[in-house]
Amino acid sequence: MSHSLHRYGPVESLRGDYCIYARAAKGVNRGEGVGDKLRKILAIYTSSGVVNFGSSHGGKSFSNGLEAEEYAKTLDDSYGIIATFDDRESVKKVLTKAGEANTGISIVVSGLIDEVVKVAHECGLKPHTATLSLGIFGHTEKLPEDDVLEMVTMCGHSLVSTGLIKDVIAKVKAGKLSPEDAALIASKPCTCGIFNTSRCAKKFREILERESERAD
Amino acid sequence: MRIREDKCVGCGACIPYCPVSSIVRDGGKAAVDEDECVDCGVCLRADICPAEAIFMPDECFEYPRAIRMQFSDPGVQHPNFKSWGRGTEEAKTNDVTGKFGRGEYGLLLEFGRPGTGTRLSEIEKVTTVIRNMGLDILKDNPLYGLLEEDLSGRFKPEYLNEKILSGILEFRFGEDELEEALGKLIPLLKDLDTVVSVGLVTRFADDASIPVIGKLAKMGLAVRPNAKINVGLGRPLVDR
Ligand code: SF4
Ligand code: SF4
Repeated sequence: MSHSLHRYGPVESLRGDYCIYARAAKGVNRGEGVGDKLRKILAIYTSSGVVNFGSSHGGKSFSNGLEAEEYAKTLDDSYGIIATFDDRESVKKVLTKAGEANTGISIVVSGLIDEVVKVAHECGLKPHTATLSLGIFGHTEKLPEDDVLEMVTMCGHSLVSTGLIKDVIAKVKAGKLSPEDAALIASKPCTCGIFNTSRCAKKFREILERESERAD
Repeated sequence: MRIREDKCVGCGACIPYCPVSSIVRDGGKAAVDEDECVDCGVCLRADICPAEAIFMPDECFEYPRAIRMQFSDPGVQHPNFKSWGRGTEEAKTNDVTGKFGRGEYGLLLEFGRPGTGTRLSEIEKVTTVIRNMGLDILKDNPLYGLLEEDLSGRFKPEYLNEKILSGILEFRFGEDELEEALGKLIPLLKDLDTVVSVGLVTRFADDASIPVIGKLAKMGLAVRPNAKINVGLGRPLVDR
């Protein structure tokens, strides 16, 4: 899962976008008891202002009806869980609690480099490894416009289509969907739950504001 | 994926869901362009068809076609690899595996993402060059298993025309190879008929800086402001 890496958008928008992944390593700490450790981490996520989480194997995310209790039962067969947050304070809460829980499972935070490093320091942690994004290369004429690209790259498996984002934006502009409901519909194909519905709804509100400013 | 023509009522509800725009209108009905479809299952899981006309035909589970869903639907497991999705471990657990030490880099080339998909023939244009450069493609990666065993970097011919939503090539090199590896590979990408999201794994310095960012800038490569950071909570900690 490099799937929370290439999230596109300006710094201001990324300030409200973090994913936290806990993953046990093959041959190191993926043995017995992993399910209990992951359940502990899930409880940390859900008590720290989580926006979304999910299960690609179960085919459902929190934003589309996956309950934490239901998800917790499946974690004995898993080796990692990921969740999405919309502010640095939630990240700080998770890292503080994860440090105290001392599960020994690796934790990876996707977000603005400067912010994540600062938060890690505030929690007494020493960042170990970074996976940097050098951006998108190749036949980039195939990419959609920036507003849409920001939304589609929130599903790292590319399951949220340009067509769906454009469709819900049109419905928001036409007053047929609220930005929040549109964000839920947009998030549905992303079963891992890393689609940030909070950031998406905010983006849709901005698009509406831009529209009404233009109309004025 | 396929749409049953006799059932489809032509409402068009499924069309926007397809990440690679392979559902088309065909005489008042919808139809899947099966050569372009990557069998990701999004249209089916969306559960929006009022006529239950969308289904995955048996042929999609047969090789070589079966690799489409293995690389495109994160809910389908790679059979020989026992992992889901693109299946890379990269730096997620580097604090306990020590896969990448200081002065070592991992390059992740993610073909087809975002939102275009790719034929394996496009990826092969890069794997053959990587092998000619003498770089090792990491084996714990599902794409590796589709390559010919002769280390030529070629895929087995039956897979070449298969289209997947995305696939990641991952390889490792040392400090002295950084400039040559990126200098040769990045220019290749512009001629591909797909997009490639590029990631680079690197260790933090003791002062929490990332020294490679300056080196990349000298090579004309900008780093996005957001990254994936292993915060060092894994135990037992490996710091090599
Ligand atoms: S399976 Fe995926 S690629 Fe194929 S038609 Fe459905 S949404 Fe499109
Ligand atoms: S949603 Fe179903 S009925 Fe409507 S166009 Fe698609 S396949 Fe046909």
